[in-house]
Amino acid sequence: MALLEVQQLSKRFGGLVANDRIDLQVNEGEIVGLIGPNGAGKTTLFNCIAGFYPPSEGTVRFKGENITGFPANEICLLGIARTFQIVRIFKDMTVLENVMVGAFNRTNLAARAKTKALEVLDFCGLAPKKSMLAGGLTIADKKRLEFAKALATEPTLLMLDEAMAGLNPAETVEAIELVRKVRESGITLLLVEHVMEVVMPISNRVVVLDYGKKIAEDVPEKVINNEEVIKAYLGEKYHASRRAH
Amino acid sequence: MNANKKKWIWPAIGAILLLIYPLVITLPFPRHLMIMIFLYATLGLAWNMIGGYAGQISLGHAVYFGTGAYTSTLLLMKLGVSPWAGMLAGGILSIGLAFIIGYPCFKLAGHYFAIATIAIGEIAQHWMLNWDWAGAAVGLTLPILPESLINLEFHTTKVPYYYIAFGIFALSIMVTYWIDRSKLGYYFKAIKGDLLAARSLGIDVARYKFYALALSAFFTSICGSFYAQYILFIDPDSVFPLMLSIIVCLVATLGGVGTVWGPVIGAFILIPISEFTRIQFGGGGKGTDLIIYGFLIMVISIYQPFGVIGITKRFRKKESE
Repeated sequence: MALLEVQQLSKRFGGLVANDRIDLQVNEGEIVGLIGPNGAGKTTLFNCIAGFYPPSEGTVRFKGENITGFPANEICLLGIARTFQIVRIFKDMTVLENVMVGAFNRTNLAARAKTKALEVLDFCGLAPKKSMLAGGLTIADKKRLEFAKALATEPTLLMLDEAMAGLNPAETVEAIELVRKVRESGITLLLVEHVMEVVMPISNRVVVLDYGKKIAEDVPEKVINNEEVIKAYLGEKYHASRRAH
Repeated sequence: MNANKKKWIWPAIGAILLLIYPLVITLPFPRHLMIMIFLYATLGLAWNMIGGYAGQISLGHAVYFGTGAYTSTLLLMKLGVSPWAGMLAGGILSIGLAFIIGYPCFKLAGHYFAIATIAIGEIAQHWMLNWDWAGAAVGLTLPILPESLINLEFHTTKVPYYYIAFGIFALSIMVTYWIDRSKLGYYFKAIKGDLLAARSLGIDVARYKFYALALSAFFTSICGSFYAQYILFIDPDSVFPLMLSIIVCLVATLGGVGTVWGPVIGAFILIPISEFTRIQFGGGGKGTDLIIYGFLIMVISIYQPFGVIGITKRFRKKESE
């Protein structure tokens, strides 16, 4: 059974159609990549699923339950956690406190939240920096912290919004490793990226958006060679010249 | 364990000194000064729960103070209810008010929330100025009852007031300490830090903002009831003024918001200044203390945005490095 099922979801901002009747399915244990050029509607779709925007039309189902239009905090409680493209950490709190805020999603006891947070920090390789103020971290560590906070809420489905944008190649490799580790621990992942190189090696399936529409959905190898996808990413001209060869 | 014990040494010494204070110092003014410090420290701590921890700057806290003062006084005068019960009733009424005020105002962000709370404070004051049944502009003079703890009135000595104020102050510190260490404190700070991030981590923002305001309103209201019993006269100008809301905010801001001891330090600095200038300049110098407050706030916000407690933290950090 699908863990997350998005059916005919549309989101309009005034006259702008950011998402146009999108179908998306994420099965348990999968890593699904959601890609598309800038402005394709990836983050909007993300926000609709996570409860930050109410969809204009369509439904979102999670574990079979209709969660369309639920507030973000309830969706988090049900087991969908997300990160933000531009990191949203609590910069005046320490790294440990940041992660504890996430851990309180499943407990009311500070001691238990702390144990859980330390566990997650260890998992993400942030344990040595736990007493630092979050505002003083490097961008790579901030991204890691953003990830750790979401992980501490103990989600079933973790949605990462460009978790690897802005990282250097070495940091990207580490981040990919972390994503793999998370999947091995039994958490399903939905990744938004516009850098294809990041998504392709780790995704089981890739969904491609362009101008708010789903233009392709397949295993990574096939998506790379999909004509529509090449057109969307590289433009009509390049597409045409490629054909001429 | 050792570090834990060490942490409690200073508060314990402080508490013992404060408990001995009225036995050693017998003049009424120094005793009165300490009572005012306790009162404002408690108000600062209460304000700190919503303004410091949860980051919702309220400039209308006089509403809860006045509600406490008027509820206990009116219950005593009209129905003969004990001030202690009146104090509790005022606290509960203030929580109700917090819900009514918070529901629309929490939809506003940042400065807009602060402005809305000022407006509500002004509305409350004008309402009370015109409400004849509650004494209107003339105010209420509390009936003089025999001295006793049950009546919460003492005419020959300030010592019982001192210990009651100290008790309320100690209770508010304990509650703040508990908030600081519990889920509530973490959630309040998260709301202050980033609303969207807070929501994404499962925090029901509206609910936790209300919790912060309810706790804050309750303690502010208790201070109001105590003030009425201590001064034995209240009117809208003394318990509902905008200036009170602002001073309460200053006490917390000067000392350091979002910390347990910040508002306490703030009260120990500001209230003596206010009381001494009042004595020094009498009626003619009204507002001198506010000029000094204003100056202190400017200095603090330029050099040390985390308040006086930020300075001590900076030193401690250097030590540990």
